[in-house]
Amino acid sequence: MTGRHFIAIIFASVSCLANAQEADTLVAASVLSARERPVVRASEELFIPSQVAIPMQVADVLRHFTGVQLKDYGGVGGLKTVNVRSLGSEHVGIFLDGVQIDNAQNMQVDLGRFSTEGISSVSLFNAMSSNRLQSAREYASGAAVHLEASRPEHDALKFRLRGGSSGTFNPSVKWDKLHGKNLALRTEAEFLTSNGRYRYPCFDTTLVRENGDIGALRLEGRLYGNIAGGEWDLHACGYASERGYPGPVIRRAAGFPFSAERQEDMDAFIRGGWNRDWTTRYSTALKFKFSDSYMHYATHPEKNPMAIPCDLHYRQKSAYLSLAQSYTISQPWSVDFSTDLLENALDSDVGQFVTPRRTSIWAALACRMIYDKVRASASMVCLGAWDRLKTPQAGGWSGEDGFRNAWMPSASLYWTPADWLELDIYAKKTYRLPSFNDLYYSQMGNSSLQPESASQAGADIRLERQHGAWHTLARISPYYNRVTNKIVAIPTSSQFRWTMLNIGRADITGADLKLEEEYLREGLSLSLCLRYSLQRALDHSTEGSLTWGNQLPYIPLHSGSISFTASWERWALAWDTGLTGERWSRSANTADYRIAPWSSSDLSIRRSIPLPRAGLSVGLSCNNVFNRRYEIVQGYPMPGTNAMINLELNW
Amino acid sequence: MKKTTVLLLCGVLGLCACRKDPETIVYKDAELSGEAVDVSGFDKGLKKIFVLNEGGMGSNNATLDFLRISDGNYVTSAFRKMNPSESAGLGDTGNDIAIHGDEVWIAVNNSGIVEVLSAKDETEIAAIAVPTPRCIAFDDRYAYVTSWAGAYATGSYDSGYYSVTDYKNPKGQVYRISLSTKKVEGSVEVGYQPEGIACFNGKLYVANSGGISSQLPPAYSYDNTVSIIDTESFKLAGTQEVEVNLKQVFSDGKGTIYVTNLGNFWDVHTALYAFPASDPSHVQRVGEGTIIKEEALHVSCAFLLEDTVYCIGTENEFDWSATHKYNVWSVHTEDVSTGKGKIELYPLELDGTPYGMAVVKGPGTLDTHYAIVGDAGDYFNPGSVSCYQLDFNENARIWSVTSGVCPGHFAVWQ
Repeated sequence: MTGRHFIAIIFASVSCLANAQEADTLVAASVLSARERPVVRASEELFIPSQVAIPMQVADVLRHFTGVQLKDYGGVGGLKTVNVRSLGSEHVGIFLDGVQIDNAQNMQVDLGRFSTEGISSVSLFNAMSSNRLQSAREYASGAAVHLEASRPEHDALKFRLRGGSSGTFNPSVKWDKLHGKNLALRTEAEFLTSNGRYRYPCFDTTLVRENGDIGALRLEGRLYGNIAGGEWDLHACGYASERGYPGPVIRRAAGFPFSAERQEDMDAFIRGGWNRDWTTRYSTALKFKFSDSYMHYATHPEKNPMAIPCDLHYRQKSAYLSLAQSYTISQPWSVDFSTDLLENALDSDVGQFVTPRRTSIWAALACRMIYDKVRASASMVCLGAWDRLKTPQAGGWSGEDGFRNAWMPSASLYWTPADWLELDIYAKKTYRLPSFNDLYYSQMGNSSLQPESASQAGADIRLERQHGAWHTLARISPYYNRVTNKIVAIPTSSQFRWTMLNIGRADITGADLKLEEEYLREGLSLSLCLRYSLQRALDHSTEGSLTWGNQLPYIPLHSGSISFTASWERWALAWDTGLTGERWSRSANTADYRIAPWSSSDLSIRRSIPLPRAGLSVGLSCNNVFNRRYEIVQGYPMPGTNAMINLELNW
Repeated sequence: MKKTTVLLLCGVLGLCACRKDPETIVYKDAELSGEAVDVSGFDKGLKKIFVLNEGGMGSNNATLDFLRISDGNYVTSAFRKMNPSESAGLGDTGNDIAIHGDEVWIAVNNSGIVEVLSAKDETEIAAIAVPTPRCIAFDDRYAYVTSWAGAYATGSYDSGYYSVTDYKNPKGQVYRISLSTKKVEGSVEVGYQPEGIACFNGKLYVANSGGISSQLPPAYSYDNTVSIIDTESFKLAGTQEVEVNLKQVFSDGKGTIYVTNLGNFWDVHTALYAFPASDPSHVQRVGEGTIIKEEALHVSCAFLLEDTVYCIGTENEFDWSATHKYNVWSVHTEDVSTGKGKIELYPLELDGTPYGMAVVKGPGTLDTHYAIVGDAGDYFNPGSVSCYQLDFNENARIWSVTSGVCPGHFAVWQ
């Protein structure tokens, strides 16, 4: 039994002992569908259904992963982005079922928008996730977060009702239906509403956060099928939301609100994939995605006399096609060749908008060698991106300065010298393209920007021991990252005209540490997990400046978490404490910009109640139990103690 | 770590200093100290040079620094130190600082506050709610504050509390605040996004930028006008076209009004324009018709000392990729009716990102000047304030101190 199987089963057992047998098969199926072994393992992996308290948003899952910095502006509707090992959130690829979620406008993916409802596992890769038949873009991101949905295994109907503090009400329904052996359909609907109100300390008084309300609706349909020698899936998703942004907490004259900003979003995509083994040696995977995102942002000066008037509409469209081919030369050697094509378009009614279009091509050649105890892979990705603009002066389309290309090599090696010991090392260099905002934002963009690069090297040492009912896991991962040609906004000769330049550089040295101890016997399971991250992320942009050699903004030198879960017959309990050391909001690490260390503890309890022909689960979770006041982003206070009730009914 | 220790020590020393004989001090802020710099060459009639650090929008880190001429101490964050009860500090995005008598007036743009302080010890006299205040001018009865937003929404003041009553249109306003009561007494609509303001001979001259209109449908265009307001009737008396995207306004007190523009970042460059108050239609670009080439007379920031406007500019201002060399020049009008003046090009060359400036005189009869320049650095982290000798061919910086974020606005109290 490999470690991966084992952990998966442990997780599954911890969760629902009531129907442990069923869970077992589910997990086993998802492990098998992972198509052969990857060369290195995920740095962190979490099976959503096994959690005592299922987090509402993907952002909450990533919160305690080692090496991950979640930027959270607070509240259910607040923006949440992740930064992995200080590379910058633009270097973190978020993959939904193997297809990257892109945002060519600003390269930021708001993880607060992704419900955990449709997702069964979340995993984080620091090294290359060198699976067989992966898309070229999967080879090309600095760090990758994979969100995977599991394929329905049997007919099921699930209702979930969640609600609690801040007027949060979140009902959802999921219906799985199998049509014969070769077709499965999953339909999901979810609605979320919250008034976003919570008390927070505003300098020397306490106020209630206003204009942070959200209403969101998500509808999804997934179709899975088999055809001779392969499988396919089709996924359509629609998401619509309307929300307010409460704005930063600053000094404001009485009577003026902090913010009246509103944003409406309407996103839709259709995604599909088809894998097929043509011969025992040759396989292909085809993926596609079409997406259309509309955004309306308005500051509503009629409600807020302090607002800078702004009422803008954006529309992004993208089309993506990927073909991955894998050829097994002879065991243990195989070679993969993946080619991806992506077309992005952005339209807006911003003044002097250049309506950029981008065609990007990735081609990845990877070679893998897989023995039982030793695995190795090496890959090279070539990226080419062509931009076209319609400048207001010229009128027509131009491709001036519009071509960018980059070569991204990577290599990884895995070795398991003993049953209880696994080692892997990796090195890679990736680039992220400048976003449309970086390049073409009126009065600020700089169309001559080059891609920003991230060089990474790291190792992973994993010790795992099973001793009777006890299971011990220890993992230590030292790493070194360097970000160069970092795209930074700086003002030009005219103070009112900013521009973007490739001038930043950051050197990051760190280590992630994870210790896990589990005890498992019939009817009882206990687990304790300690995580610690050390990150020394230094600004090396301008020698001799005030900020040279200082810690990057918002990166704590020390951070970690303590998690404890216990389950006994139909009861389950989880305790989670996140700790973040001191940080600075600017790279000038002075007392004025210091953010005090903070911690936040969450407690969850769940009880399963078997009903005739159905299962009911009642959960209660209390977040920030000690009502700690803290800010992750300066000026954006996080909620104090808040509670949520979760009811789940399964047929 | 070392830095923290030093800061802590400073704090402790500051506390100890507090406890020492408070009877001997003249002003309450005499106990504040900071980096000591050489001000021996400055005119001894000066008391303080105030520096308003804008901070970053949304970061609530506008700060007030001052340089005390008596002992050469450069004191940072003086507002916070002298007004500990104002726990939110000075506020978000300081936009202008002006002195009237012994009062310091500060427009805290994104806080919606016009802050009035005592110049003697920086203690708060009044905090007046004004929607997005930009710049301040005075006559002997009122302070006049330009505002972008007052026109987007009309509201009413009820015991100092502003409430929106109706949505109106996107033009800006000039608010009138009584110097004696510190209460808002009406407003006048001007052009789009008004910026600088100056008062001369019963008229207010307001530079309209249209900085936001240029980004908005349907027109996508900058404003290019100066609004002229009669202070007696407090009504618009006229409008004069100058150039797109106007910024600062100065009155030399002798009948000439100067206006700077920011240009359109595309084909219209920055410059200084002048017109006689008696006939605003007689607008001239400063340097027009002289042998001095236009590039030498660009304006990144400017300062008025007596009847002379000092400017810092850079020649290749639309080359965003390069680092720039900045030159310093000045002008004063000798004949108001013809607009004939004297332009001085100084040998001083600056680099970095000059963001604001002040000019002070040397002592007595010596005709020497010092330029005090605020450098914004990367506009995100604390900047610096440096002092240069202006008149001689020496590029040597006399001193430089660390300021707050974006030291952009200066006022001299004498």
